Amino acid sequence: MRNFDFLDAEYAISGTRSDEARVSPDAIDLGLSNSLVVPQVDRPSSFLRDAFANVPEKDRIRFAHGTTTLAFSFKGGIIVAVDSRASMGQYIGSGTVKKIIEINPYLLGTMAGGAADCSFWERDLGRRCKLYELRNKERISVAAASKLLANTVYYYKGMGLSMGTMICGWDKTGPSIFYVDSDGTRLKGKMFSVGSGSTFAYGVLDQGYSYDMSDEEAITLGQKSIYHATHRDAASGGVINLYHVKEDGWVKISSEDMMVQHRARMAQIKAENETSAAVVAEPAAA
Amino acid sequence: MSILEYNGGCVIAMAGKDCVAIASDHRLGVQLTTVAMDATRIFPMHDKLYLGLTGLMTDITTLDQLFRFRLEMYEMRENRKIKPKTFSNLVSSTLYGKRFGPYFSEPVIAGLDKDNKPFLCSMDLLGCIAEADDFAVAGTCAESLLGTCETFYRPNLEPEDLFETVSQSLLAALDRDCISGWGAVVHIITKDGVTTRELDGRMD
Amino acid sequence: MGESDYSFSLTTFSPSGRLVQIEYALNAVTAGATALGIKAKNGIVLATEKRLPSALMAEDSVQKVSMITESIGLVYAGMGPDSRVLVKKARKAAQAYARIYKEVIPVGQLVREVASVMQEFTQSGGVRPFGVSLLVAGFDDEGPQLCQIDPSGSYYAWKASAIGKNMVNAKTFLEKRYSDDIELEDAIHTAILTLKEGFEGQVTESNIEIGIIGEDKVFRTLTPADTKDYLTELE
Repeated sequence: MRNFDFLDAEYAISGTRSDEARVSPDAIDLGLSNSLVVPQVDRPSSFLRDAFANVPEKDRIRFAHGTTTLAFSFKGGIIVAVDSRASMGQYIGSGTVKKIIEINPYLLGTMAGGAADCSFWERDLGRRCKLYELRNKERISVAAASKLLANTVYYYKGMGLSMGTMICGWDKTGPSIFYVDSDGTRLKGKMFSVGSGSTFAYGVLDQGYSYDMSDEEAITLGQKSIYHATHRDAASGGVINLYHVKEDGWVKISSEDMMVQHRARMAQIKAENETSAAVVAEPAAA
Repeated sequence: MSILEYNGGCVIAMAGKDCVAIASDHRLGVQLTTVAMDATRIFPMHDKLYLGLTGLMTDITTLDQLFRFRLEMYEMRENRKIKPKTFSNLVSSTLYGKRFGPYFSEPVIAGLDKDNKPFLCSMDLLGCIAEADDFAVAGTCAESLLGTCETFYRPNLEPEDLFETVSQSLLAALDRDCISGWGAVVHIITKDGVTTRELDGRMD
Repeated sequence: MGESDYSFSLTTFSPSGRLVQIEYALNAVTAGATALGIKAKNGIVLATEKRLPSALMAEDSVQKVSMITESIGLVYAGMGPDSRVLVKKARKAAQAYARIYKEVIPVGQLVREVASVMQEFTQSGGVRPFGVSLLVAGFDDEGPQLCQIDPSGSYYAWKASAIGKNMVNAKTFLEKRYSDDIELEDAIHTAILTLKEGFEGQVTESNIEIGIIGEDKVFRTLTPADTKDYLTELE
């Protein structure tokens, strides 16, 4: 078996690499040039938690938790849709966050939980998928890619990583979605929604879903599900971003403020009320 | 999460020239779930005195009823309208009366006194009065509201400009708070009467 | 049964619809030293006789004019000990009001509070009505006000009024002397002159007591020295 290890060195950032870091028992070398340093204490896994144990709840390190993300597969591939709100407690840190991470032209990851954790590890996943491709001269499967991520987060289990992500892509087996979270859970499925607004999204999704729906119907359903979640869930909101994963890779479909959907829905409700009012009025007139 | 933040919502009041504005959002939530978008947290006490209540909605409802009762009794007994300042003292002593089991609500009072000079104050849930001559805020996005008010406030605004300033201050702060928003209402109190306008806000 | 047979309990009406105990209380007032009040354009004066049963008593130890709040005072006619109960309750009512609203109780509210206490003592078991009538003087947002409260709990606002032994004559005198645009200084003179009418013996600074409140809205009882000045002016 040919050893491809030399490739790692090619991608290393030489400036931050040191022999000391390589041999230090305190540093866990993940094959990353900039190793993640673990605190030099007896129980590193509980260090962060212990360090903030006596701090008021509002002052603790907190991660953006509120989110609505969803992905579902259907006849035409996979629809991935998300909101764009980053909340810190009840405070809105940003309203224009990109929660769909483009790992490579065939793979998408969604972001829920800690924004830094998701973006860092999914970017790392992209790097490793590329390495896999170079080593094996073929694209990595969605199953394998999601497992790389699941193994990584499992390694750090209990140390405070916070992620709930869906790895979506198209490989030899067709479209597939894997749910991976920081507990180490890894599930294959046809429909997932993650985040504080997921219950609302599931409601709309279950009500409108059919495998045989057209691309347009699926796109509308995805947008509608996220819209209703942003409307009812305080921690979700902003822009609705939607991607469509097809056989030849993902396509970005839309990036539209949820208020566009809201106004359209309000106009529709108003029109329906006027129609029904007219129907009620007619017999009286006759 | 603090019980004061259980339902979400906020109130802002601002003084103008012989006029005063009081505004609030319309959200009623149960923690992060929005259950109503037509909630009322501003209550007219008389035609030149408005009371805004933030915090726990069940206490807001109770306090509205309690203050209306106390006010109507006062007006019948003394055969006169209560002065905004006197009313704020009534609110304060009522709240402190529950010092060891307080109502979870922080009020904002806005009104015009007998010379049509603006009166503004906010209070904590125990009844400590903070009187202001420019603006008073309370609720889940009080910090953001103070920021927007500091930025937009100008002294001696005419009613129309005051409406614009209050609306922008409120809407801008609502955009940074998860549990406030879903539409808003603005009341402009002048010596000639009260103008009430609904604001379309973001619905997320 | 005659009227007197219905006087065993003050909560029982006589067949003619009267509560005789209240009438007896009024008799106690009429037996008391005369007190009067005059509302002037810019203030109010209260005045009363302070005749003591013995020349050996220390005159300066008796206070018949009392301050209730900074801007309200009262004088009584009738039983001194009863009046002190009412003064105490009036002061407490005034402080209770200030405690809630952080402002001075309006005269009308204070009068209503005291009157309701007096009414309560005409309808409760085991008590008797107060043997006093009160003249309350105050200056608030509504201007100067003079009110009289009787043992029954009824109260009226007056331009000038008198209570006690010589009340009928005093009122007649006041009716002749009163005018709507009277100044406080003139009202004080009128008050002294009214007391002099029907006064047994010589009026001195130590056998009358005067309380005034002017536009500064501060009620004060005149010192014997002040009273003496007014008496000298009248000579």
